[in-house]
Amino acid sequence: MLCVLFCNLLVSADEYENDSLHTRKLNTVTVNGYRLQIVRAVLPVQIYSEEDIRTLNAVNITDVVRNFSGVSVKDYGGIGGMKTVSVRGMGAQHTGVSYDGVTMSDIQSGQIDLGRFSLDNISEISLTNGQPNDIFQSARLFSSGGILCLKTKFIEYDKDKSFAGKVVLKTGSFGLLNPGIYLNKTFGEKWAFNLSTDAITANGKYRFLQHYGSNNSLSETLTRTNGDVKSIRSEVNGLYHFRQKESILVKANFFGSERGLPGSITYYNSDDSQQRLKDRLFFTQIHYENRVNEKFQHQYFARFNISDNHYTDKDAKYTDTDGILIDNYLQKEYYLSSSFQFKIIDPLFISASADWWYNDLNINSNVDFKDFQYPTRQTGLANVAAKYLTEKLTLGASLLYTLTREKVRTGFASPDREKLSPTVSFSYKLLENKELRIRAFFKNIFRLPTFNDLYYQEMGNHNLRPENANQYDIGFTYLETEIPFLSDLAIMADGYYNQVTDKIIAVPRDMFHWSMTNKDKVNIKGLDLSLKMNFKVGKSDLVSLKTNYSLQSAKDATAGSDNLGEQIPYTPLHSGSGSVSYIHRNWETGYNLMYSGVRWNGQMTDKTNRLDGYIIHSIFVSTTYKQWRVNAEIINLLNTQYEVVKFYPMPRRNFRISLTLNI
Amino acid sequence: MTTTKIISSLFLSALCATFFTSCESKDDSVESPEISTGVFVLNQGKFEANNAGLTYYDFATGTASTDVFSAKNNRGLGDTGQDMIKYGSNIYIAVYKSSIIEVVNIKTGMSTKSIPMKNAAGTSSSPRSLTSANGKVYIVLYDGHVTELDTLSLTLGKTIAVGANPDASVIVNNKLYVANTGGMSAVKDSTISVINLSSFTETKKITVNMNPGTIKADSYGDIYVVSKGNYGLIPGKFQRIEAGTDKVSDIDLKVQNFDIVGDQAYISNFDYDASWQAVNKTIALYDVKNEKLLKANIVNTEILKTPYCINVDPTSKDIYLGVSDYSNLGKMYCYAQDGTFKFSFATGLNPAKVVFISNN
Repeated sequence: MLCVLFCNLLVSADEYENDSLHTRKLNTVTVNGYRLQIVRAVLPVQIYSEEDIRTLNAVNITDVVRNFSGVSVKDYGGIGGMKTVSVRGMGAQHTGVSYDGVTMSDIQSGQIDLGRFSLDNISEISLTNGQPNDIFQSARLFSSGGILCLKTKFIEYDKDKSFAGKVVLKTGSFGLLNPGIYLNKTFGEKWAFNLSTDAITANGKYRFLQHYGSNNSLSETLTRTNGDVKSIRSEVNGLYHFRQKESILVKANFFGSERGLPGSITYYNSDDSQQRLKDRLFFTQIHYENRVNEKFQHQYFARFNISDNHYTDKDAKYTDTDGILIDNYLQKEYYLSSSFQFKIIDPLFISASADWWYNDLNINSNVDFKDFQYPTRQTGLANVAAKYLTEKLTLGASLLYTLTREKVRTGFASPDREKLSPTVSFSYKLLENKELRIRAFFKNIFRLPTFNDLYYQEMGNHNLRPENANQYDIGFTYLETEIPFLSDLAIMADGYYNQVTDKIIAVPRDMFHWSMTNKDKVNIKGLDLSLKMNFKVGKSDLVSLKTNYSLQSAKDATAGSDNLGEQIPYTPLHSGSGSVSYIHRNWETGYNLMYSGVRWNGQMTDKTNRLDGYIIHSIFVSTTYKQWRVNAEIINLLNTQYEVVKFYPMPRRNFRISLTLNI
Repeated sequence: MTTTKIISSLFLSALCATFFTSCESKDDSVESPEISTGVFVLNQGKFEANNAGLTYYDFATGTASTDVFSAKNNRGLGDTGQDMIKYGSNIYIAVYKSSIIEVVNIKTGMSTKSIPMKNAAGTSSSPRSLTSANGKVYIVLYDGHVTELDTLSLTLGKTIAVGANPDASVIVNNKLYVANTGGMSAVKDSTISVINLSSFTETKKITVNMNPGTIKADSYGDIYVVSKGNYGLIPGKFQRIEAGTDKVSDIDLKVQNFDIVGDQAYISNFDYDASWQAVNKTIALYDVKNEKLLKANIVNTEILKTPYCINVDPTSKDIYLGVSDYSNLGKMYCYAQDGTFKFSFATGLNPAKVVFISNN
């Protein structure tokens, strides 16, 4: 059976005080902190803080990520549906996801299910092209084409308040019910604990308009079924401070879900999809950090991760097994990391980090995978980075060494790999008294084939080479805080050129059998523009405007290809997002726009593969009263019927209401 | 914008909207031609991409219309067009994933009826191949059954069980032979179910090589089967089931696909290179009466992409070879009996079957 979807892939105690003026000042300080970080970054970074996230019509992490420029999200629709994130045309497997400093991984498909993390527990989401600007990181954070960093929030020690929390309840269309509780407790100055847990249940049903051909052809209104989801997400953290800048954090995170996979639409076939997916994902990590001495800082991570996925499909075609297919996947990872940072002479920092991890995968099925090879892989990384940091000039250079060792129980294992990947970056402040900078970076990196690429039955190819990506970027950043009427204005513009070679693609042998091979070459020329503005209106009102635009000209550059020079699948040439919000005393209201231009759902860019562009409008209004906050949203205001992935219809107009009680 | 400008632009857009269809299509006559004498090509499309289609090539005009079904019926054919036959005044198309049989009038190209194929539980039974005899069309269903369709009333009759995941089928001497692939099972199947058409019951199973696919018969009652093995250690084979005795013997020939017209089998074969590209593409001639190879390759002009289907016109004996690369539109090559290239035309995605029609 063709490989189906296999991705499957701090407590923020709201300190909303009654004194709105005080709140405004706090926000501005935080806002400016982020703005400076973005403007001085030598590698392009976009950050959405908790505050920014509140102005987006977002219920999960992918909703936030969609707003970054340079990002293409492939969304299969529905609350429990798979969503994958590709940055600057390189493909989803080049996007690393880091959660509180540790890279998440899935050795089987290479895709992370961002839905396993609750958005209410997140204090910051950032996307950096290349690698993080802060060089004091695990080596693994230097090993992706782009890195999405998720940070949870731990409340700072406050002698007046040792217990804080919030209770959240969300409800809305699709039968959504999502209660959650977030608690944070400190004991003196040394100990802090937090617990966050939420549950989601939704029936996932919605009506949609299906055309049987072009937009002029016969059409019908159908109902999307088997998209129900039940899930639980919980996390506990324990933090102990030895001294002010020396601490140890222990974290345990669990995600359990049972959901239906509605599948793609098949014309004239009224069968309900019978695909079900049960996930149990658990990880625990320990993080020791010592930043006491400015000249020498060190941190260590240890993590254990286990993922258990259970997929079933009922179909009369499985005649030998009573019409049911059962696939069980179990993967484990053990991870260790150590990083060091030295301040040699004042503006020069050097960091060195070493990571090692082990992955294995077990699959058993009642129909497939009878010859499964039980692969295991050990990966070792060593990274050295240097950063020369002054007010005017920043220079960065790093070199990553990668070593892999793979073993299988039967058959052939993928050859061991050894690679060196350099990165150089620079940023220069052009004007004396203005925050206007020019920056550029070059990064060479690769992504290793996943276990599915290498060993999937009848399709895997153990000889696959890693997929290479060279990134070149040049851009400007500008931050202005002294314009009359404007509170601040931040602009970011980057032009880039990415070359992906040895791209791993599936090549058909016949209609139902495909094989993985390194074949393609893709050249991507693009532009990422980002603008953020805040206006003060009257005494204390604030208007906040954010807009992102991406141009991605991602063309097939494979020699001898029939589609040479054509745009690659699922990458729109033009896309963007916009967000406007207005704060008046304890009321906030806003409008969001999501735009995607035309895309193609196959390599042939003709009318049969064309996917129309779309604009989705959404609005929200929220109010705070004492400890309560209510937020009401209407998503897809104009009831637009659209698809992100062909034959996976997206919901039309829907709504959401959330109620938060701060304890 | 001034008021006049607004009004005129509204008027223009209304005008264009009214004539929207003609604004869009390049040449109406090519998209939706009059169907006279030529060939229909069933384009399989890509699995789960809802892009099966029907191409019509007209002998007189020498032009091909890529999707005549959509043009005539204002809707797509569905998902994965698996087989097509001509019987009486209709074309019957088995659309596998959509699980319907489309009954299309040969003259108009319009669908007379769309028959959903459902099993007893009400879910899709997924039709794979079609054969016809005695006023009935026999539909092989991937969920392990065969059903009959009465062509006068266009209603479904009895359903019987055969082996696991049956695919291709052929009728010879009032018997229906169905190849059971076992494609969705842990171990693929190796049997051919034999159905007596008078009683419409399965009388026996003949064991052949693993994963039997294409199955055709000659006028002497012999049946030829191509099997694909398990894509691993067990290789494919070309075999003959002897008429009368049902004895199975191997034929030492490599065959991807074939068709039989008269005393000759036309065999399409190719190999894969390291990156799954087709090489060594040949059309061989095999004498089914004397049971020997006549010529290893009759074609000496270039064949692009991967050969996908081969069908021979029973009247002109012209050979039609469809090729595909699975992502872009396919192509149909036409050769004379001796292998000389005659003409070619563009088809839809994955041309899977050719049916010869004449409305004169």
